[in-house]
Amino acid sequence: MNKLCGESMRDIKEILKKSKVFGLLDADSVKRLAGMFDQWTIHPGDILTNSGDTAHTFFLLGKGTVLLAMDEGKAIVLDTPGDFMGLELLSAKGKYKTSLSVLEEGSVFALSRQGFMELIREDSAMAETIMDAWQEYLDAKAPFAKNNEGPGLLQQF
Amino acid sequence: MPKRLLQKTMKARVFCNNFKSGGGHLYGLESINASNGWAISIVGISIVFSGLVSLSLVISQLYKVLALYEDPSKITAFFKSKKSKKVDEKEGEKIITIVLTRSQKETVKQFALLARTLDDHFSLPRLLHLAQISGIKDPYPSLNILLKMRIVESDENGFFMWKNEVSDRAVR
Repeated sequence: MNKLCGESMRDIKEILKKSKVFGLLDADSVKRLAGMFDQWTIHPGDILTNSGDTAHTFFLLGKGTVLLAMDEGKAIVLDTPGDFMGLELLSAKGKYKTSLSVLEEGSVFALSRQGFMELIREDSAMAETIMDAWQEYLDAKAPFAKNNEGPGLLQQF
Repeated sequence: MPKRLLQKTMKARVFCNNFKSGGGHLYGLESINASNGWAISIVGISIVFSGLVSLSLVISQLYKVLALYEDPSKITAFFKSKKSKKVDEKEGEKIITIVLTRSQKETVKQFALLARTLDDHFSLPRLLHLAQISGIKDPYPSLNILLKMRIVESDENGFFMWKNEVSDRAVR
């Protein structure tokens, strides 16, 4: 795990700007969010999360391919830089509900779940932008994974 | 008179004086100076040095040639993949065509056998689990190749399908 600096910091900013979830944020929000990420190098066979474990980290894909496996046997393959593995795609009530396994070497940017939750609680404008983009992202990427319990309850993630 | 011509004239004059006083022979540094010896030796040193550098580069890369000698299939795989690795744009999504090595083709066949034991719309994590317990070599990167080549494709509902025609083409 590496703290971001120099080139990695530029990388995360670029990926955040290209990301469908974070791409609509203003430059200040991107800068603020970018500072919260750590870069992890990933290798085929690495398991990033296990279903049932305490959820402490969300992930943003930098490079490579990751398989997100759900409990019911369903799965999503994430291979586009900027794909976000967080919120209801990854956790429910503070526990991981899906497993993430690495299929192709690359990197992910790890974000503290707690830090992310606090940030979007403090900044309602940012929260609204992210949540709207997140719903669109889920509709396109994995409509079957959408949370039907009602939007706006951040605690449920 | 130009500076360069003046220098040459001076040099020639020194040479003549030395020749007259020394009976026609020059020795030591004077001889080196008079016959452009310094320039010649610098050129010589440069040639030898660059030769040694080239030689050391060749020796340092020799292990790669030896690896290819030990496994010649790598040579054909390298040239085939260079030639035919192409990206087709189809419906806005990338399809990567990869020419598989012999062992990769075997892996695809093994995955195909496992996929046959599953439903038409199967669970990808289940296929990966079966590959792991069956002892298939490098199941994670192999599954990635299947996905990249579209041998395994999402049904957009969280399950995946095995594309026999793509698979058959890949292992042919």
